[in-house]
Amino acid sequence: MLTRNRLTLLMGLALAVAAVVFKTPLASSQGLTISVAYVTGELPVADPFSELWNQATAVEVPLSAQIIAKPIQPATNIKSVTTRALHNGEEIALMMEWADPTRDESVLRVEDFRDGAAVQFPLAESLPFYCMGQQGGDVNIWHWKADWQTAINARQELHDQFPNMYVDQYPFTEEGEDALTAAYTDIAYLTAQAAGNLMAADVHASPVENLVAGGFGSLTSQPLERQNVQGYGEWSDGVWRVIYSRSLASAESDDVSLAPQTVYSVAFAAWDGSNEERNGTKSTSQWVSLQLADFDAAAVSPAAEETPVAPFSLPGWLWLILLVLLSLLVGGSAFYYHLGTKRAL
Amino acid sequence: MPDVYNWHLGRPMTYPYAEDHPQRQFVAVFNINRCIGCQTCTGSCKATWTFSRGQEYMWWNNVETKPYGSYPQHWDVKTLKLLDEAHQAAGVTASWDKSQADDQAAPYGVYNGLALTEASGPNEQVLGYLPAESEWRAPNFYEDTSTAYKGGAFGLSQDGAALPEHQAWFFYLMRICNHCTYPACLAACPRKAIYKREEDGIVLIDQERCRGYRKCVEACPYKKSMYRGTTQVSEKCVGCYPRVEGKDPLSDGVPMETRCMAVCPGKIRLNGLVDIAEDGSWIENPKHPLYFMVRMEQIALPLYPQFGTEPNIYYIPPRWAPRPYLRQMFGPGVDRAIERYTAPSRELLAVMQLFRTTQKMIFRYEIEEGPLVREVEVNGKGWQMYDDTVIGFDEKDREIVRLSVVEPLHERSTERPNSI
Repeated sequence: MLTRNRLTLLMGLALAVAAVVFKTPLASSQGLTISVAYVTGELPVADPFSELWNQATAVEVPLSAQIIAKPIQPATNIKSVTTRALHNGEEIALMMEWADPTRDESVLRVEDFRDGAAVQFPLAESLPFYCMGQQGGDVNIWHWKADWQTAINARQELHDQFPNMYVDQYPFTEEGEDALTAAYTDIAYLTAQAAGNLMAADVHASPVENLVAGGFGSLTSQPLERQNVQGYGEWSDGVWRVIYSRSLASAESDDVSLAPQTVYSVAFAAWDGSNEERNGTKSTSQWVSLQLADFDAAAVSPAAEETPVAPFSLPGWLWLILLVLLSLLVGGSAFYYHLGTKRAL
Repeated sequence: MPDVYNWHLGRPMTYPYAEDHPQRQFVAVFNINRCIGCQTCTGSCKATWTFSRGQEYMWWNNVETKPYGSYPQHWDVKTLKLLDEAHQAAGVTASWDKSQADDQAAPYGVYNGLALTEASGPNEQVLGYLPAESEWRAPNFYEDTSTAYKGGAFGLSQDGAALPEHQAWFFYLMRICNHCTYPACLAACPRKAIYKREEDGIVLIDQERCRGYRKCVEACPYKKSMYRGTTQVSEKCVGCYPRVEGKDPLSDGVPMETRCMAVCPGKIRLNGLVDIAEDGSWIENPKHPLYFMVRMEQIALPLYPQFGTEPNIYYIPPRWAPRPYLRQMFGPGVDRAIERYTAPSRELLAVMQLFRTTQKMIFRYEIEEGPLVREVEVNGKGWQMYDDTVIGFDEKDREIVRLSVVEPLHERSTERPNSI
């Protein structure tokens, strides 16, 4: 007997199937595959305009605002990122490209937030939650920061922001030569740096931070010696192009380890600093597939030509038939339920 | 979200975490009436904690001149406005029901409005805003600026100024982190990098875990979480915790007042630790000077209790400022507090001598009764002053200070009038 509950369940199921089949934006990034093309020689780890990137198929991954954990910003600015990936058997290079008219690369002032982007890999066999993982389902995150990229060239102090600011002295930052200043330095007054917080480090070897997370609020930097992800980001004409690179294999348990001819899951996120986006207020994708090509470059080409946007390639008339069948199913169930309630009366 | 009990509001309140209270709470009473605005507290804090790069605009302690001064600029007016707009959107009128007052559970009555954690909407934990850099840059703007004088020629009054309300007025508001019972900064941190210490209730930002998202800067209504651009993380008043722990070499192993409290030339501050019960209420301790002033005499009041964070710095409101302004700032207990401060009870007068007489925290006081020395009329009622002696004891119950109400006078002999 069809109770009201069962009917609701059935209709929900039918709608879900319809949503998947007709690709409504609900689950739009699922089913995408990014093919990591095999190339020989050096990867273009710091050159977003290298010819080599043409070997990789560009896949546009749709993003939507994170709306599960507070704080929530439902109107995030970045709607999609275009991704390309290459490997040479030793290393992987992954490029994210997205439109952002504003270039936010300083966090010196309290109201300034950085542009940023992240790539996320699951560390567990079964797929954890696509946003930051979950307890018992850790994820490895590579987070690129626009200000770290800039700081590699020149670290900013408050005097860069306010050139006319006057301060008598900063005790303990350099050894004093007179009786008025201490003859020793003490890092304790740069509290976060003294505590070993990577955010506060004087210099960054890479603009990408290597992190691990297991659910909202659990994001943790990996120790300095395990910061093994390289990166390069460049902004031109309203577009950020960011390249992440790392050796395919990693012995660390908090790092994803990649191998050719294997399929992995990957998710992306991006932040627009001008929109005060930081932390959970971000645009994020769901899990998409990352397929590493075999060493043999020829084996790549069919995958590379595959159109990445269509999850099923069915002829048009079949779609129509499916739609009619679904409508019949939903309508029929509703009619059956209608009869059932009449009989009960 | 779980409900927590907020005795300032006299009712349960929405908060993202369940109640879990410290054993003791860092508490202070600031007497606004006595402050001379010398900023010695501000300087001592700066010289102790915030003299390094990236902290140039950081003042964990500041003294602003009300009603116009504020650091960051207009912090309280902006938050009050946000709260007002949230009330209008929800169709709620904020009011205090004084008829439901209860000395223990609701000393100021019951607040019928929305607290900041209740007015925040579906996307945030706490209602707040992020002050811009420019708002932090002039910490003492409007210093000593009074309201306009509307009187006789040349700004002179025929009658002078008289209580209860001066026509032209200002007062100093001295502010540090309130080390709130329900901190808004802690509620807003998306990664639990802020914690309240079990041993003394001091609220700290974990410098290793903070990632500089500035949600705490946005959420703290008192704007005492501050961002340090050079280390990319936020910092805040640490309640001079090494002193509170008794680790300062001078402290003799017992809790000591913070730097800002201990340096006060105006003797306006008294700092200590009160015992907290498992349910968050203050364990009855009538001979503790802070318990006596806050819970029994109720002369010291929380700053903007309607924000709902249960702040732990209590203020003796200024006698001369307009009462509606003071009621908005300190809640409905203002009138009673001023009345009791103006004509203090025999015991209160003695206890108020304890302010800023020792660096060590006073955990207990005793009073030795002295003679009646003065009898006058205050507000139409007779008032007697006794020269009692008050004795303060430290954590180990050792006598640390002994004072009489009438300050002893020493007259030099005529032989050596100028000797030191």
